[in-house]
Amino acid sequence: MKGPVIASASTRAHLQESVARTVLLAASALVIVAMAAVVLYLASEGSRLFFSDHISPLTFLGRLTFDPENRAPGALVFIVGSLSVTIFAIVVGGPFGVAVGIFLSQLAPQRLAALMKPTIEILVGIPSVVYGWLGLTLLAPFTRAHFGSQTGFGLLTAGIVLSIMILPTVISLSEDALRSVHASLKEGSMALGATRWQTIFHVLLPAARSGLTVALILGIARAIGEALAVQMVIGNSAVLPKGLLSPTSTLTTEIVTDMGSAQAGSVMQHALFSMAFLLLLIAMLLIVGVRAALRRPS
Amino acid sequence: MTAIADSKSFASRRLLESQRRVADLLATIVLWGAACSIVLLLAFFVGYLFYLGAGTISWHFLTAPPSEISAGGGIGPQIFNSFYILFLTMVFTVPVAMGAGIYLQEYARPGAFTTTVQFCAESLATIPSIVMGLFGLIVFVTLLHWHFTALGGALTLTLLNLPALMRVTQEGLASVPLIMREGSMALGATKWQTIRRVVLPSAIAPLTTGIVLIAGRIFGETAALIYTAGVSVSAGRSAYDWSPFHTAETLSVHLWYTHSEGLVPDAARIGNGSALVLLVMVLAFNVLARVLGRLLSHRLTSK
Amino acid sequence: MITSTIGVPEARAECKLQVEDLNVYYGDFQAIKTASLEVPENRVTALIGPSGCGKTTFIRALNRMHDLSPNVRVEGKVALDGEDIYARDVDPVSIRHRIGMVFQRANPFPKSIFENAVYGPRIHGVRSRRMLMEVCERSLRRAALWDEVKDRLHRSALDLSGGQQQRLCIARVLAVEPEVILMDEPASALDPIATSKIEDLIVELKDDFTVVIVTHSMQQAARISDFTAFFLMGDLIEVGTTSEIFTKPKDKRTEDYITGRYG
Repeated sequence: MKGPVIASASTRAHLQESVARTVLLAASALVIVAMAAVVLYLASEGSRLFFSDHISPLTFLGRLTFDPENRAPGALVFIVGSLSVTIFAIVVGGPFGVAVGIFLSQLAPQRLAALMKPTIEILVGIPSVVYGWLGLTLLAPFTRAHFGSQTGFGLLTAGIVLSIMILPTVISLSEDALRSVHASLKEGSMALGATRWQTIFHVLLPAARSGLTVALILGIARAIGEALAVQMVIGNSAVLPKGLLSPTSTLTTEIVTDMGSAQAGSVMQHALFSMAFLLLLIAMLLIVGVRAALRRPS
Repeated sequence: MTAIADSKSFASRRLLESQRRVADLLATIVLWGAACSIVLLLAFFVGYLFYLGAGTISWHFLTAPPSEISAGGGIGPQIFNSFYILFLTMVFTVPVAMGAGIYLQEYARPGAFTTTVQFCAESLATIPSIVMGLFGLIVFVTLLHWHFTALGGALTLTLLNLPALMRVTQEGLASVPLIMREGSMALGATKWQTIRRVVLPSAIAPLTTGIVLIAGRIFGETAALIYTAGVSVSAGRSAYDWSPFHTAETLSVHLWYTHSEGLVPDAARIGNGSALVLLVMVLAFNVLARVLGRLLSHRLTSK
Repeated sequence: MITSTIGVPEARAECKLQVEDLNVYYGDFQAIKTASLEVPENRVTALIGPSGCGKTTFIRALNRMHDLSPNVRVEGKVALDGEDIYARDVDPVSIRHRIGMVFQRANPFPKSIFENAVYGPRIHGVRSRRMLMEVCERSLRRAALWDEVKDRLHRSALDLSGGQQQRLCIARVLAVEPEVILMDEPASALDPIATSKIEDLIVELKDDFTVVIVTHSMQQAARISDFTAFFLMGDLIEVGTTSEIFTKPKDKRTEDYITGRYG
């Protein structure tokens, strides 16, 4: 019982295929173009300080005082600020995050894991201003009252806020890294009579080393790039931090604070663009670091 | 067995054994503690923000325009702008990111081009949002002479969110089993026909969940918007401006601005209210993402 | 000893598919070694052999499914009505319209039964609603599924039982009106009752189609096929009518497999 013959795959379908392929390729190429544009424009504006204003990079990177009015915009104080607050965040938030990652991948009973997944998603979703606001209304008064800080703003408050902000990143990447360790490794260790903690510490963590490194690197990237939440609680004074309680500034907070008032074409504005370009370079360096970590066999 | 048994005395073996047990117990307590504190932390934040801001929320607060110097201003236009910029950002992000994601997942062969695209996507994802905001300042505000516009903000946010949506697309496509694709190809379909008619519809649940979650993050984005979409609403004209070229302060930017430069006496109150509204929106997006995800995957199996 | 229940076909059938010196490589591993086979028209040809012998690899080469896998290399000639489907200017997409495939695990799309059945015609450009309904009914009847689903065509195909899903997949292929139907162990995931329904269907289909079926069950091959080919470790050992293969195999290895010495 044969019916009418159905025509074979028409030329129309093949035309659609070619068009689709071209359009999709163009979309991918657009990603490259976008990145190239970002790098080029930031490099162009970021180098004005050196080429138009003739400020030496050594001054920019090495001088401790930020004095753009007198043509001496030393960004070192902000670099130190960024590093300090990032180190704090990763030292506190890193182990915390990895611990939760271990918990989720090894210990968590089904119900609790199901509860924690949306919890982490919400923590990721909370806008940075809201974290800053919480730091302002909750943490700063606390620091003021209990740590003897005058204003409550400073490295400690900013560091704590940042630690919490990088937690979701570190947690989910650590969890993924630990989950991807082959089950046979864990089973082999347990079969030899190791306790759960011994298995985790001596077998799983080393096996997941590259994934955990990526988790920490991306946590660092998140910390160093955060602007607003830090700006709301760090005190914003362009001096080197003398201790955990003293106010300071970072590269990102300085940009946020002074970009609005910087006059177009001024040394100040150019210095801020150079700081932005520096942050871009740091970000790309971290990506290279991530790729290197992933390439190492674990 | 005998070597181990002989080398240590019975007592020291017992000690070693109990040391191992103690270490295991300690570790278990620490890990459980870490996990529970995360949940408690969130609960505490949510509770505190509600406590701070609940009193401020009123219909007036949610719809009235902000006031320049006196107390009693609202956040109506800011909420409008947040949604407006969200919508505009999606208009640009979804086609480009899904297009690139589909290409990478279904068509691309390993090679220089593919590696470059992936590297660029990873880099875009790591760029701090304030730096991207400055890029937007350079190109959209200054170079193109647009000054502060919703469009400039949306384009900047597009750049920031391309990688995330690409990843959502790729993971969604990967979740469709190979045998589905083979079934379609074996019937004489082209690759694009297979993607359009079988693969994408099959992946609709994870795609939707991912897109809604990203939308939630866009809603709260601040640093990239301060210097691209601006810190004020259109002065003079109606604050609810539908043109993409109007200055569009979003709710999150407003929160920051009120805090840092606010001249109004009730800045703290407005801040509390804004923070709470932002939190509620994040929760709403999260719930919506899950609900839609579950609804769509059920529809696939029992229509 | 297994005896075939199918009589020897009276007249010699035309050759529909001619496979000449087929070699298939997965990377460096050679999965099919210089296999040659003539598939007669309007008959059922069964491919048997122990697991891993290459029968699935072989059948997937017949409709260029290996094009979808990047590290698989196919050499040799597969001629459909005399024309090599692997020739330079041949479009694989149109080949798969003429040579259809049913898979081991039923893979209905997550759509309605109707949408599954008319998927083939739709992608080939048929738009008319009336025509699609006709095709749908015709294919589902042909696949012996119409009576069971005619009242719920717009419900999801995933609600059907395993056997029904597989018949839907067969209907899906029939709707494209191929000339050859390839089946890769179509009933291996099904219970005996569903299996026998599929087998009855296959025997009916050979009036209008040429069927090639991979099966790990010798009994199944004996029940429904006219010709049988025996594979072992990538080599095509022996081909013949089903009754010859099962009663008077020429090669000792075939005999060993048939009598169950390994497999």
